[in-house]
Amino acid sequence: MADGDMPKKPALARDVNRIGDSFIFPPRVMDDIHIKSELGRYRMRGFSLFKKIPHWDDLTFMPGTLTRFVIEGYREKCDTDVKIGPRAKRPLELDIPIYITGMSFGALSYEAKTALARGATMAGTATCSGEGGMIPDERRYSSKWFYQCIQSRYGFNPNHLVLADGCEFFIGQGCKVGLGGHLMGQKVTDQVAEMRSLPAGIDQRSPARHPDWLGPDDLALKIQEIREATDWQIPIQLKLGAARVYDDVRMAVKCDPDSIYIDGMEGGTGAGPHLATEDTGVPGIAAIRQARKAIDDLGKRGEITLIYAGGIRNGADVAKAIALGADAIAIGHSAMMALNCNKDIPEANYPEEIGAEPGYCYHCHTGRCPVGVATQDPVLRSRLDPDEAAERVYNFLHTLTIEAQLFARACGKTNLHSLEPEDLAALTMEASAMAGVPLAGTNHTVGIEDYHHL
Amino acid sequence: MASVTDAELKEMTQEERVKALGMTTEQLTGKSLYIEFDPDAEERFTYPWAPDVDFNKRTELDCDGLTTTEVNAKVRDLMNEGYGTVVLQNPRGMHSLGVGILNKLNLIIEGSTGYFAVGLIDGPNVRINGRVGWSCGENMMSGTVMIEKNAGSTFGAAMRGGDLVCRGSVGSRTGIDQKGGTIIVGGDTGALSGFMMQRGRMVVCGNAGKNLGDSMYDGTIYVGGEIKSLGVDAVTAELTDLDKAWLTRKLKQYGMMPDKGVDHFTKVVAGKMLWNYDNLEPNEKKLIL
Repeated sequence: MADGDMPKKPALARDVNRIGDSFIFPPRVMDDIHIKSELGRYRMRGFSLFKKIPHWDDLTFMPGTLTRFVIEGYREKCDTDVKIGPRAKRPLELDIPIYITGMSFGALSYEAKTALARGATMAGTATCSGEGGMIPDERRYSSKWFYQCIQSRYGFNPNHLVLADGCEFFIGQGCKVGLGGHLMGQKVTDQVAEMRSLPAGIDQRSPARHPDWLGPDDLALKIQEIREATDWQIPIQLKLGAARVYDDVRMAVKCDPDSIYIDGMEGGTGAGPHLATEDTGVPGIAAIRQARKAIDDLGKRGEITLIYAGGIRNGADVAKAIALGADAIAIGHSAMMALNCNKDIPEANYPEEIGAEPGYCYHCHTGRCPVGVATQDPVLRSRLDPDEAAERVYNFLHTLTIEAQLFARACGKTNLHSLEPEDLAALTMEASAMAGVPLAGTNHTVGIEDYHHL
Repeated sequence: MASVTDAELKEMTQEERVKALGMTTEQLTGKSLYIEFDPDAEERFTYPWAPDVDFNKRTELDCDGLTTTEVNAKVRDLMNEGYGTVVLQNPRGMHSLGVGILNKLNLIIEGSTGYFAVGLIDGPNVRINGRVGWSCGENMMSGTVMIEKNAGSTFGAAMRGGDLVCRGSVGSRTGIDQKGGTIIVGGDTGALSGFMMQRGRMVVCGNAGKNLGDSMYDGTIYVGGEIKSLGVDAVTAELTDLDKAWLTRKLKQYGMMPDKGVDHFTKVVAGKMLWNYDNLEPNEKKLIL
């Protein structure tokens, strides 16, 4: 039979003449090229990265059996409280090691911001202003509140700074390390524009550099300035996107902050170039170990708090991040899901309104959020009941905590922060190499000659 | 727990109720259960400090041997005592001198300061008889700051209001992210001045360096001398009579009026091409970025 002749019986439901599919150029990549060649620019979207990277699922806990003593999983005391910036005169004391990260008013609606603040207050934890300044009601509802000092300084006001319980320097974001924030024109309403001293309706691309300092030496002085303005009371936190984590954190420690926040590449955004979310940063499992090592190498363990954010979905992720070395966890995206992000609520018609099914929406950047979370549209905003949303945020934060406690107790810890890398095993070679924990069932940690005699 | 009545239970807090009923629950350390927030928690909004000061009450403070923190604390103490005019002697190039003053005050600094001089202020009138380092008047909200000699880079970064005046020349990135107020420079300014400027006005009596007004959203820059080059999306505009009247008034106010008047000033504004970049035609995009 000659190559290309049709077989007599149609036995196969596939075209055998077809040599194969391109792995490099699958249909979605071709569509992307077609769209960009029409559009003439990079494509924007919200959400976090889409591609598969080594992450929390590639680690597993090694709880106590006979070699370790376990703590009663649901009852016995297991401390969760954490102090951010213990050296500060007024450290930020959180009841649970999870708080709500900075998401701007502008990216999020008023209802979403206040619901997050109320939910966090109920759980005894903190929120953060995000870019674009303080909305008074968020401050009113937050018992513990970070004020963000971001590159653009939109709405930054020293009168608001003195109301803060902590000041966070935004230096980078895990989702798009090295880039400034984005807020597309649809979301820059009159109110948002006025708070940011911008013309309404413009596409706002925030600066990527701080205006008044360029490098770590200047940053150290800038931190001193903020300390002077707040009478050395509140902790100062540096938020870094995870890239060259070990060196970055060493330099950050040199600037003498009270805490360091590392944002892994799993982190989300309200709007950013698709490629930036996919192709910048390093995963959390690698970043936390490096950050912890940098802080410890400089002898600052217990003085400078390490906070991790990025891709935290459940209590297991929280417990794994703490085991790898984080002191506290910040959540953004999963807190938005507690608010209703991607939920099929009766009021919303996803396919018609946003062109995607619930569960597949990543269109935060359009400002047409069907559940009223990432929008400024009054009609859409009315779909979010702030009272119920606040309760859901509280429930979610509480659930994360008791789930994390479950793993801590199973590993025999009476304090969540007693979890350590020794309690983990890796399921893949990649995760083993990045997280520095042995491959499950072996004594072999990829990249480390003899793990037990470091 | 039959001894507790329904009426009593209603009066109790949830924690007391749980104890009274002998129920135990999952304990999060320290606090338990559902913590009610108080929407009227006004203490979070209390502005703790706004002393009434008298400008005629004057005092001097020698900074020699004191740290920045001690000097700033001392200035606050003096304001609490009602002093409205404070003179700082021997500042020795200290960083962060006089930051975070959110009150009216006449502050006179007899000498030069380091980085972040009088940043994050709202209200005071400051005169610095010397030079200043980087980021002087950073994020200032209101008041006036007058520098008699030269200033460093990022002069008036992210400034939101008030008048920030330097009689001498300044470094690069002057008025970066400026959001309001007025910056006046008697001499020259360096590269990237007015970068991403959003609102407000900047007056440079001398020359401006490369990439003036790069990516500016809005606001106005007036330059008396030569402009080495304009940045992305910055364009020159016609100097109207209104501009001239404003320039004359403002420069006379600080005794900085050039001998040849203000007619020679060049006005630079935003080209507004970057406002909605996505709406541009492909050939326009290439011209902008």
